[in-house]
Amino acid sequence: MLATVVKLIARRLLAAVPILLVVSALLFCVLRLLPVDPAAMSLPPTATIAQIEAKRREMGLDRPLPEQYAMWLKAALHGDFGRSIQFGRQAGGLVAASLPATIELAAAAMILAAILGFGGGLLLFHLRGTLFESIADLGSILLLSIPEFLWGLILLFVFGVVLHALPFTGEVSPNLPQPDITGFILLDSLLVGRFDVFLSACRHLILPAFALGLAFSPTIMRVLRSSLFDIYHEDYIQQARLRGLSETQILLRHALKNAILPTLTLAGVQFGILFSGTLLVEVIYSYPGMGNLMVDAVRNADLPLIQAIALTYCIVVLIINTLVDALHIVLNPKLRTH
Amino acid sequence: MAGPLTRSLHSPRVLVALGMVLCVAFCAAFAGLVAPHDPSEQNLLSILTPPLWDAGADPHFLLGTDSLGRDVLSRLIFGARTAMIVAFAASTGAMVIGSILAHVSGYFGGVADWIIGRLVDIWMSFPPVILSLILMVGLGVGLDRVILAIVLVDWTRFCRVLRSEVMVVTRHDYVAAARLLGFTHWQTILREIVPATAPLLITLFSLEMAIAIVVEAILSFVGLGVGPDQVAWGQMIADARQNVYQSPWDLLLPILAIVFTVAAFNLLGDGLRRALDVRLAEAGH
Amino acid sequence: MAFKLRRRSFLQLATAAAASIGAMPSRAATSAAAKDSASIGWPNDVPSWDPNQRFTPDAQSIFKAVFDQPLGQSTTLKLTPALLKTWKLSEDALSMDVELRDDVTFHNGDKMTTEDFRYTFFERPKSGTKLDTANSWRKVQDIVIASPTRATMKFSSPAPTAPQWLAFLGSFVVPKKYMETGGLDNFLKKPIGSGPYKLAEYELNSRIVLERYDNYWGGKPKLERVTIEIIKDPSARVAAIQSGQVDFTINVPVREVQRFQKDPAFAAGLDPISRVILIQARNDLAFADKNVRLAAHHAINKVALSKAFYGAAAVPLSVLATPGTPGYIADYHFKYDPALAKQLLAKSKFGPNNPVKIGFATTNGQFPSDYDVARAIAQMWKEVGIEADLQVIDYAKYFELNRARKLPEATLYSWDNATGDPEIFLGYQLNPKMPFSPWKDQDIGNQVLALFNVADYKKRIAGYRALERYAVEQGASMPLLQSIVTDVRKRNLHYTKYNNGWVLPQTFHWV
Repeated sequence: MLATVVKLIARRLLAAVPILLVVSALLFCVLRLLPVDPAAMSLPPTATIAQIEAKRREMGLDRPLPEQYAMWLKAALHGDFGRSIQFGRQAGGLVAASLPATIELAAAAMILAAILGFGGGLLLFHLRGTLFESIADLGSILLLSIPEFLWGLILLFVFGVVLHALPFTGEVSPNLPQPDITGFILLDSLLVGRFDVFLSACRHLILPAFALGLAFSPTIMRVLRSSLFDIYHEDYIQQARLRGLSETQILLRHALKNAILPTLTLAGVQFGILFSGTLLVEVIYSYPGMGNLMVDAVRNADLPLIQAIALTYCIVVLIINTLVDALHIVLNPKLRTH
Repeated sequence: MAGPLTRSLHSPRVLVALGMVLCVAFCAAFAGLVAPHDPSEQNLLSILTPPLWDAGADPHFLLGTDSLGRDVLSRLIFGARTAMIVAFAASTGAMVIGSILAHVSGYFGGVADWIIGRLVDIWMSFPPVILSLILMVGLGVGLDRVILAIVLVDWTRFCRVLRSEVMVVTRHDYVAAARLLGFTHWQTILREIVPATAPLLITLFSLEMAIAIVVEAILSFVGLGVGPDQVAWGQMIADARQNVYQSPWDLLLPILAIVFTVAAFNLLGDGLRRALDVRLAEAGH
Repeated sequence: MAFKLRRRSFLQLATAAAASIGAMPSRAATSAAAKDSASIGWPNDVPSWDPNQRFTPDAQSIFKAVFDQPLGQSTTLKLTPALLKTWKLSEDALSMDVELRDDVTFHNGDKMTTEDFRYTFFERPKSGTKLDTANSWRKVQDIVIASPTRATMKFSSPAPTAPQWLAFLGSFVVPKKYMETGGLDNFLKKPIGSGPYKLAEYELNSRIVLERYDNYWGGKPKLERVTIEIIKDPSARVAAIQSGQVDFTINVPVREVQRFQKDPAFAAGLDPISRVILIQARNDLAFADKNVRLAAHHAINKVALSKAFYGAAAVPLSVLATPGTPGYIADYHFKYDPALAKQLLAKSKFGPNNPVKIGFATTNGQFPSDYDVARAIAQMWKEVGIEADLQVIDYAKYFELNRARKLPEATLYSWDNATGDPEIFLGYQLNPKMPFSPWKDQDIGNQVLALFNVADYKKRIAGYRALERYAVEQGASMPLLQSIVTDVRKRNLHYTKYNNGWVLPQTFHWV
């Protein structure tokens, strides 16, 4: 089985290569539409036209677009995504420094979304045929209609502004040190044995993670419920009933086992979308991840940085989707033999 | 197809949702008549007045004023216009492009299907939020640009879901029969396949309206949406964030407006899906 | 307000809940435990840790903690000795003798000498175009070293404001040996200066941790550790100070200041600084018509803008200089007169029914309420017959747009001049050879260029005062308001306020 999964992952990643090439080329072209001159922007305001021209030549901006792209690609393959205009540092390094925070946030949010989604889905299913069914159903549609950035604002308002219950800026409290070993603050704080930092990081994570989790849980909820509905129409559930199994036993032994697969698949797809959803939430909570860096780069027309970040988002989402597919195979015995 | 559509009107869910949608649409269409004030008119002497139910309210401004002394109620109403224009135009555009490609791909199969399939793959590997931001960076701000960006991002939603539906319908006997009767490909698609996929299309359209409203709000919120002289809910939220302590309602009201409208379209989509018996993987959503 | 009542009861509830589970650090506890440290909520990160590279007024305060400037300024902007014990500009302003302190060390223990001074103000700026100091010190022909503490700066043309510049943007002495042996990248990773604080920890766009440098030559800072949290969003800064996450913050919305002033746990201020909010005008397109320019200026109700957006604390200006600086003209007033504006427009056949169309650019979030001010001005113009097409531009793109002549007729802008010298107000603004203004007219331009070479202080100031008026009367200069800085701090945290808006961590202390 392991071999199958590895083969699948390898095949998917191989298929991703041409996609990434086209994606990066598209990005390159769209960003060149911008009416700004990266050469002029990377020089001080007092630079002369001649100096800018020289810089343009140095950066290769005077060559045709395909050639520019080829140059960029060659450098990118060597890990060089160019220097950020506003920070004057390697764009790749900046992305690498902010990626762990985003991954942590996305992972925490996904766990929350899964818990809320599964819990809610079971509740929805449990309420079928009762008076509350349509109320709960309407409730889930309402939940579905609140995107993550509105949750972010609502939670910030209620728990940060009105209740003062939770922190809502940054990654840890300002009076605490920020250990940096792997870049993952939760992990690093434990590695250096600072539980106060760990706790503070957890508290800072709560609101942004909930904002994302709440926004993505309703879909999981509704899919779990509808898969359970479908399964309860299958014959084997009827047979189980005839064999005298209790409803709880049926749910746990038969229904849930089979409903979990489509739900997990969906949750995986959602994770890809959720990952990019961190962008706005990070902005709202001043969370030092890639989303914040992206909006900063956009505001300052920092082309090399925008390009590096956008590509990173695409790569991460591709990887997530590949892993979800692999998980799908692992969990689904029928697919394994193919 | 008139049959199922009329039938769907018997669903209370659809009716309620339609009522909500019409309510927003009415505000959007007759904003000039409904709104008590010019939404851009500033009153620098009455800035951030609270809504009527709070102490210190100015009866002139039912829902209070924002940081430039503009009437919040009027801005909400005109914001509905922006939201509806963007959502309708963008959803229509995405639907037209997406469904044309889906029909070509699903009906003809072969090379066309392969090319369109790869195109969808490439598009889908861009997270939607990132792609729309990048597009807005390249295109610049403005109502038309927002619409264009949403169309360019969201056509895949239609294309992907419709394609498989078209493939299923194409295999039906009556499609083959139509071909035998001498229908051209286009006639077959228009007369036989499109009617069969229409319920799905309508449902998707309703859901896309909800998505487009959210995207417009997000883009305006980060300052890459409609221009500065347009009234938009996302812009109202961005403005109100600065004064959340003094006038929380300035922040909450546009949030409520967005949730109400998005919920209306989601509810409509859900009601249509049930009434029209459309099989729709929620994952595309 | 009903909301306030509700908030109080929520607050009580929350405090009770927190007390019971002991999860929420109470305000009192944080401040009591942290008497030798403080945290600051700051709106912007430094553009780079090379202090000579980019001029950003907001970063100046942070740089001043880690690095040192040759000259300092008093709270009222008088030049004071700092790294330099003495400085003497020659009468023709073509050379300046300086004497450096002999007790200054960099954070790695290296002694600062005139070698470092020469490196900073001559060798680095001349080495390429990457540094903003290449422009501010373009006139430096050489720096002749007489001893480790004595040197002479030689200028290619008169540099009457050289002393001011030694205390201004980007003029921080950097360690020559450390930079040359380790390279720039190493310096950017581990920057060292000679300032009162060492950089202990840095996370891009997130936080800067400063630790006291015990061998500092000047007065020892009271706080051992200062953490600067980068919080870009003004409302998030408000929330951070409100919840006790930070002890001090600046540039919160004006109305928040008024609210904090009523809260006994906080002290809040609203202070005018040596920064000007102005409209940059082009001298062509629809603004080629002087009537239109003057009408645009007369139509702006500066008092109303100040009241609406700056709590009436921003002083309305008629010339491009702030009160208390040498170039300020107290008895000159440019009228707010919409009727006159209409008359002027009528002369050029424009009116409310036949408005003149102009473009109007503004930043959003570059300085407090910028976007609101721009939208309010657009409305004021509309009433007299000027239809402004408002567009938001990024501050980062301003210079590039200007160089490409792509800025619209009017641009809302803020101009910082920590020195207060009129050359760095009007002189830079209307100098056609500099990239700051879209005004490219030769008449005013030549007058400015002439003033740059006047060595005599009194003559120079008088020249600028005359030109300031002239520029306003020509419609070339449209100063609006003196900018303000807002600050909120815990009541027992004190610091020194400077008229130029500096917030120096070394002046912070708890009482």
